[in-house]
This record gives sequence, C-alpha cells and structure tokens, in this order.
Amino acid sequence: MRLHSFRSFRGRLVAVFVGLFAVILATCFLVVAVTVRASARHEIGEELRLAGTLFVRQLESRSQQLVAATRLLSGDFALKTAAATADQETTRSVLANHRQRIEADVLMLVSPEGSIAADTRQPGRLGAAFPLSRLLEEADQAGEASRIAVIDGGLYRLAIVPLLAPVPIAWLCAGFAIDDRSAADLRRLTGLHVSFLRRQDSGFTMHASTLDGADRDELQRGLAAARTAGVIKLGGHPHVIRAEPVSDEVLVVLQRPLAEALQPYDSLFTTLLAVGSAGLVLALVGAVAVARRMSRPVRELVRVARQVSAGDFGTAVSVGRRDELGELGTTFNQMLAGLRDRERVRAALARAEGLKRFFSPQLAEILSAGDESVLASHRREITVLFCDLRGFTAFADTADPEEVMRLLRDYHETVGALISRYEGTLERFTGDGLMVFFNDPVPCPDPAARAVRMAIEMRDAVQRLLEEWRRRGHALGFGTGIDMGYATVGRIGFEGRFDYAAIGTVTNLSARLCQEAGDGQILVSQRVYAEVESLVEAVPLGALTLRGFTRPLIAFSLLRLRADGPEARQLSAKDEQPLAREQTG
Amino acid sequence: MRRRAAIAALLTLLALIVASAAVKAQARSGPVEAVVTDERGKPVADAIVTLTSPGTPAPATPRVTVVMDQHDKEFVPHVLPVYIGTPVSFPNRDNIRHHVYSFSSPKKFELPLYIGTPAAPVLFDKPGVVALGCNIHDWMLAYIYVVTTPYFAKTAADGKGRLDGLAPGTYEARVWQPRMRGGTDKTAQPVTLAAGELAQVAFVVSLKAEWRVPRAPDSYKGAQGS
Repeated sequence: MRLHSFRSFRGRLVAVFVGLFAVILATCFLVVAVTVRASARHEIGEELRLAGTLFVRQLESRSQQLVAATRLLSGDFALKTAAATADQETTRSVLANHRQRIEADVLMLVSPEGSIAADTRQPGRLGAAFPLSRLLEEADQAGEASRIAVIDGGLYRLAIVPLLAPVPIAWLCAGFAIDDRSAADLRRLTGLHVSFLRRQDSGFTMHASTLDGADRDELQRGLAAARTAGVIKLGGHPHVIRAEPVSDEVLVVLQRPLAEALQPYDSLFTTLLAVGSAGLVLALVGAVAVARRMSRPVRELVRVARQVSAGDFGTAVSVGRRDELGELGTTFNQMLAGLRDRERVRAALARAEGLKRFFSPQLAEILSAGDESVLASHRREITVLFCDLRGFTAFADTADPEEVMRLLRDYHETVGALISRYEGTLERFTGDGLMVFFNDPVPCPDPAARAVRMAIEMRDAVQRLLEEWRRRGHALGFGTGIDMGYATVGRIGFEGRFDYAAIGTVTNLSARLCQEAGDGQILVSQRVYAEVESLVEAVPLGALTLRGFTRPLIAFSLLRLRADGPEARQLSAKDEQPLAREQTG
Repeated sequence: MRRRAAIAALLTLLALIVASAAVKAQARSGPVEAVVTDERGKPVADAIVTLTSPGTPAPATPRVTVVMDQHDKEFVPHVLPVYIGTPVSFPNRDNIRHHVYSFSSPKKFELPLYIGTPAAPVLFDKPGVVALGCNIHDWMLAYIYVVTTPYFAKTAADGKGRLDGLAPGTYEARVWQPRMRGGTDKTAQPVTLAAGELAQVAFVVSLKAEWRVPRAPDSYKGAQGS
C-alpha cells in the first residue's frame, strides 16, 4: 500500500484531489483576505472620518458654550463699570475674579483700537496689540467670535464678545487652554488619541496630545508626509490617522493603532484559517477514502492479470459494482474464460500432436479428445496384418549404416503412407517389420477387405522399391501375413511406458503367416480368405504347420485383386468407356 | 409805594420786550434746511445738524429742562440733542424699574433701579456724545448729543431738519449721527445765510452697521407655566 509514493495511482489521486482543494481554498482565502483587508481599511478610514467630523462639531459646540459663558460675563455691570472708569489694578483684579467664574485660563480686555487694555496673564502685556486682529474684525461683524488659536506660544480656545455699556467700549476675550489634560478629556469622547498641532512653515508644532514622549515627536515629524488621512508609523506600529483643521493654522489629529482597529478582522482571519485547515484535513481523509475505493478494483485487476501472465488461468476478478470498473472486471473475466478455453484447446492440440507422433492417428485423436476409455482392455474382432523385409538382417550387416537407414526410411515412408490411407492402426514397428490391425480403436465395416487391399498395394509398392536395391546386389524381399479373429485390445505396460496392444491368437497366427511368407507372398488364413474371396485371386496352400499351433492351419496365398471384383468392375467400367467411344467413333 | 414799583417793573418789562422784539426782528433770517443722506442717497434720520459761527460766542440762552423718556422699555427719543448746560430729566413711565447709566466721558452717571421721576434732572455740562443704557434691559440704548451751539436740528425720517432764528451771516455746519463713520469735525462745511432766503445744506454720511442687542420677548408669552 504505497500511499506516500507519488508514482502510485492512489497517491496521485490523493495528491490531485487534495492539491485541487488546497488551491481552491488558498484562492478563496486570498480573495477574502484581500477584500476584507481593503474593506477593513476603508471601514477604518470611514470610521475615523466620521469621528473626525463629530469631533470637530463637538469642539465647535464647546466653543459656543464658552462664547455664551463669556457673553454672560460681559453683562456684569461691575465689570462694565470697572472697564469704563476704574484704574488698571482694579480692572485687572475684576478680570481675575471673573475669570474664575467661567473657569477660563486667561481673560483680557482689548480696546476698540485693538490693543490690550487689561490681561490676567503677565502684567507687562499692556498696550501691546492684540495678536489676532482678524478675530476682532470678525467679532465686530458678527457680534462675537471664537477661534482655536495660538497666543504667545500657547494653544487656547478663544471667545471674544463686546463689552456693551451700552455701546461697545471694549472687547472681552476669554481663553481656555488646550493642553494635554483637555486632550485627555476629549479622548474620552471618541476613544481615539487626540493631538493638536499647529502648522508652520517649518513643519508642525505639537501643542497638546494624549500620546506620550517619542510618539509625539514622531507624529510631529511624520504628519508633514501624511495626507489628511493615512497611516503613520509610531513606535514601529502603524496608526491610522485623520487630521481635521480647526482653524487656519491649527489642526486636530485623531488616531488609532491599526492593529487595534484590525483586531476583529484578524479574528475573522483566524477563524477562516481554522475552518480552511479543518476543511483541508477532511478533504485529505475523503481523498484517501475515495482513492482507495477507486484503486481497489484496479489493484484487483492487476493482481489477477499478474497471475494470468504467470500461467494461472483459473483466477477471476471479483466484481462487486455496476459502474465502468465493474464492466471492466466482467469483461476481464470473459477474456480470461476465452483464454482458458483457448489454452485448453491449445494444450489438447499439443497433446494430440504429441500423441500423434507416437500413437496411431486415430488413437491419438480419440485420446486427445479426452476419451481414455479406449485404453481400457476390451475384446474385439480385429484383422491383424504382419509384414517385414526378407534378408534385412544380412543386409544390415553388410551395408553401410547410411544405406540401412535410407532403406528403412524409404520403406517406412511407403508403408506408412498406405497405412494412413487405409486407416489401419499401426500397433508397432520392429525395425523392418510392423503390425497393423483394423477395426480398433475405430471400428470399420470391412476390416479384412481393407487389410487385403492394403497388403496387395504394399507388396507392389515395396517390390518397386526393392527393385532398385536388388540391382545393387542386395537380396531383399517382402512378406506379409494376415489373420482375423477376437483379441484383447488395450493399454499394456507400466507407468512411464505404455503400449496399445492387441493380445490373442489372431496376433500370433498372422505373425507366423508372415514368417512363412516368402518374398512377394501374402499369406492369409482361411477365415480371411472366406471374407475376401470375391475380391482376390488366391492360391490355396493347404494346411501349414506353424510353430505354436498344435493343428495345421489352412492358408492361402494372395495373387492379385480379381479382375471382376468390385475394383476391377470399376476399372473395367473405366476401360469400357474408351471402348464405347471407339465403337461410335 | 408798592403801586409805583409795580408799574415801573411792568414798563421795564414792556420795554425789554419791545427791545428784544426789535432785536429779534433785526436778527431773523430765512430758515436753514438741512438734508442728510447716506452714500446711496437714502435719507438718514436721527442726524444732528449744528450751525456754529466761529469766533462769535454762543448767546446765553436760558436752559430748559429736556426730557429723555422711558416707555415700554425703550428710551424715547433715541437721539436727543441738548445745548450744553441743559438739565435732562429721565422720567420712567413704565411700571417696572429701570437702571439708567452711562460711562461716556462727557457724563458718567447712574440712576439705579428707580420708578417714576428721579428728584433731580442730570446736568450735561460737557460737550460730546453720551450713550445711555439700562443695566437690566440690555437693548435699551439712547444718545444724548451735547452741543456747544443753540442752533441745531435733528433730521426726521425723511432726512430733513430745519433750523430757525439765525441771523444772517456765515456759519459752519456740522452733522453727527450715532452710526456715522468718522468724526463730526470732518463734516464741517460753511453755510451763508442771507436775510429772507432759505438756505440749504446737505450732508452725505457713511453709516456703519450698528449691532443692537435684540429685545427680549416678554416672559409670559409662550411660557409653559412656572
């Protein structure tokens, strides 16, 4: 089970499946991450923008409250009286007193011409021009004015109202300092860090902030680079900032650490990551299961195919499913069955071929067809023919071995062909002699006639063959003996060496008759002659005494086929035809 | 004895009357009509036109007490020209008290919360503009313009004012209005009066916007019980 190898089908399947899932997941995650991040930034920017707007409104509202307080203060008759009539000291002490009433940090009286008439701050300010002349003009126009401005380096929220007695006799200017404490108060409004900075030619000056130490300096430096809204790095951490102008010079910067703002989104990412990982694990498990299910039939097929290639046709693929793989399994089994059959046939053929070389063709065929009953002993009336060469032994002694083998080969070829034609069962070779019987294992209707016809043809053929050898000076002859009768036929022998033999008197007699026969003689027994009388011309030889037989037996010597026998009639019919033609022609 | 003194007094008086009438008959010239407009030509009301003859001391005209009234929480009139040395009385015709005050340098005075008429009128013996207010009603505003000549007139809504009883001669005419930009001396222009002729003098002034405290609505109106 090579699960971890990428070469295996199952491994590849798992890899592809999980890889695909991972790619999809990664793509989704990436898309979500990018989108959410962008959305988050936008949201935070919007949030900050809104906070900035509200903040500025809040500042304005506070300024309005302060203006109202200052206006209230300006209605005080004693203050009016002091401003109009009293000496400098009295006026200043009234201002100091009244400053406390509205919790201002500074209270000033400015003459209509724009010079400072009285001041609760350093006494030496008298006579100096009020630094914000534009503010006085505004107050002149609108009856009041307020501004967040810098006076003598300090950041104040200023409120200016006329001192009406009953016509304006002076300007009353109240200043409320904006310092770190007030910044901290303001921070409670929005939860954002608050900083007040003044824009100057050289950059920005920090006047109040809820930030501490190094961050203040960094913000001061970094603000020039940032736009109205953006991200600034303070102390290494990115902060989202929003700068809102509160007057020409002064702006308020609201900020929030980016990490803090992104925190809910980060938890979203973490959740996504967890879900994604779980999904991936599930996908892996699923992929392995599916791959196993899919590869099992394939592996089964591989296993069976291996067995088949090793030669075992007996296996089959177990088919448990109805899909394409099931079809494949079924088809495979059919193919195997076909192979099995062919294999069987091939084996049978091989056996048959093999057998045929050793057994008579008929026997071989019967045996290769699988019928071995024929090998069991049985009694049958058979016609047995023995034949051999006369003078062969002497020839074999004197002739060259090559000549002997050549003679034997020619002789076997000749007689073998005839035996095949007449479908006789060649029981054995004995060098120059052979035994053929008819009617077993394949029954035939006319065994004696066949034997006789074959014997005559054999004699003629062999004689022609021996003619040549005789001319060379070898004294060779050919004799045949035929008998018919019951014999016991079947397989004899022992394990490893069997023969298909016919045992009986008929075998012995035909052998003796062959021995008795001279060159070119075919001796048949009385019984055979009785069977073939109409076919052949024969000469009775009377009773012969043969070794092994107690009584002398009647034998006949066959000369030729009868002229008026069935073959002769056939032949004469052929002859008559030309004759008839001659007659007509 | 008493009878004789009375007759003598009566005769002196008669003579004086005749004499002054003669003098008067001798000094009378045509009236002076003054027109004051702003830069756009619109008539300017409440402008005080004065005629002074430089070098000639102002005649000793007997002062009559003038009234600056308070009615319905407003000063009436809004601008009151008075000859220097005139006492001004401040009757309070409202049924609530007022606290009249002024911090103007010609006259700093205060009439703390009073009702009816104060015992003594206030004497305005320095020339200049006196702005009056009420301490408890921030919108109440009036001006008393103390002039050094008995010859003055206040323009009405049509921007016109009329001066009478002047002897023919050359005078210097000046104008002052509470919202006027610039000082009154800069408006000086000569006017020649001929006997029996109507003299005309016109001024064009530039006015600045005056920012007035709006009148507070009465507390009962719309209040949801207290």
